[in-house]
Amino acid sequence: MSDPPDKHGPASGEMSPQERARFEHRISELGNRLGEARSRRDSEMSAGADAETRGRGMAYGMRMAAELVVAVVVGGGIGWSLDRVLGSRPWLFLVFFLLGFAAGVVNLMRAYERMQRDFTAKGGGIGRSMPDEDE
Amino acid sequence: MPDPIHQFELHPIFRINLGGWDVSFTNAALFMLLAVALTTLFFMMATRSRALVPGRLQSVAEITHDFVANMCRESMGKEGMKFFPFVFALFIFIFVCNMLGMIPGFFTVTSHIIVTAALAVAVFLVVVVVGFAKHGLHFLRLFVPPGVPILVLPLVTLIEVFSFLIRPVSHSVRLFANMLAGHITLKVFGGFVVMLLGAGSFAVLAPLPLLMAVAITALEVLVAFLQAYVFAILTCMYLNDALHPGGH
Repeated sequence: MSDPPDKHGPASGEMSPQERARFEHRISELGNRLGEARSRRDSEMSAGADAETRGRGMAYGMRMAAELVVAVVVGGGIGWSLDRVLGSRPWLFLVFFLLGFAAGVVNLMRAYERMQRDFTAKGGGIGRSMPDEDE
Repeated sequence: MPDPIHQFELHPIFRINLGGWDVSFTNAALFMLLAVALTTLFFMMATRSRALVPGRLQSVAEITHDFVANMCRESMGKEGMKFFPFVFALFIFIFVCNMLGMIPGFFTVTSHIIVTAALAVAVFLVVVVVGFAKHGLHFLRLFVPPGVPILVLPLVTLIEVFSFLIRPVSHSVRLFANMLAGHITLKVFGGFVVMLLGAGSFAVLAPLPLLMAVAITALEVLVAFLQAYVFAILTCMYLNDALHPGGH
C-alpha cells in the first residue's frame, strides 16, 4: 500500500527473482548479439579495405611493369639512332642502353619508395603488413 | 580468322582538306567527340538539381569529384588543387574513352599511341612550364638529388635527366599498350570461338575460348578504369615535381 503504482518495475530496484533472472538473460543476449554484429561489421570493413589495397596494388604493379621496359627500350632506341646518324656503332647504343636501364631502375625504386610511404601512411599494405620490430 | 587489328583502323567519315593538310573527320575524332559529349551531358544532368541531399546521379558525380580531388590533395598538397580541373579532365576523358571502347563494335580512341602521346606530352609541357614559371632555374634542382658525392654527381644527373625525359613515353605507352593488347586478346579469343564452331566436331571445344573471352572482358573493364586512374595519379606525381622540385 505504501508504494505508488509507478514505482513498480525494474527502475525501483525491487524485482522479483524470476523477473531479475529474465532481465539479466535478456541483457546478456543483447550483449552477445551486439558483439556478433560488431565483429561482422569489422570483418566486412577489413574486407573492403583489403579490396581497396588490392586495387591499389594492381595499379602500382601495372605502373612498375611499364617503367623499366620503356626506359630500356627508349634508351636503346636513342642510342641506336644516334649510332646510325653518327656512324659510331655500337658504342652509343651501349651507353644509352645502360643509361636507360639505370633510369628505369631509379624510377622503379622511386615508385616503390612512394608506394611504401603511401601504404604505411594508410596503415598496412603490400609486403609490409606488420610493423617491423627492428625499425 | 577475323583480323584482330582491323578494329583499330581509321576511316574518314567525311573528308576535309585544309590547305594541303588532311584533317578529315575520322571515327577516332567521332569517338573523342562522343566521349566529351557524354561526359558533358552526364555532368549537366547530374548537377541540374543541385540538391543538398544528392540524388542518384548527383551522388555519382560527387563521388567522382571527390575521388579525383582526394588524389590531387594526397599527392600534391593543398596547392595541387589548382590542377584539379586538368587532372579531372584527363581522368574522365580517358575513362570514358576506355569504357566506350569496351562496347562491341565501338572504336577505342586510347588504343592509338598518337592520342595517348598527345595527352602525355600535354602533361609534360605543363610540368615544364609550371616548374620554370614557379621556380625559375631552381626547377633544375630536380635533376640534382641531395646528398650525392660530387664524384658521381654528373652521372646521377645524367640519369635523372634521362628518366625525366622518358616520362612522356612511359606515360603514353602504358595506357596505349594496355588498351591495344586487351582488345587484341579479346578479338583473338572471339575469333577462336568462330573458328572452332566452323571446324566440324571440334565445335564442342568452342565454349572454352568463349569462357575465356567473358573472363577477359571483365578484366578489361577493370583495366579500363585502372589505366585511367594510373594516368591521373602519375599526372599528379609529375605535377608535384613541378610544384616541389628537390622534394623527392
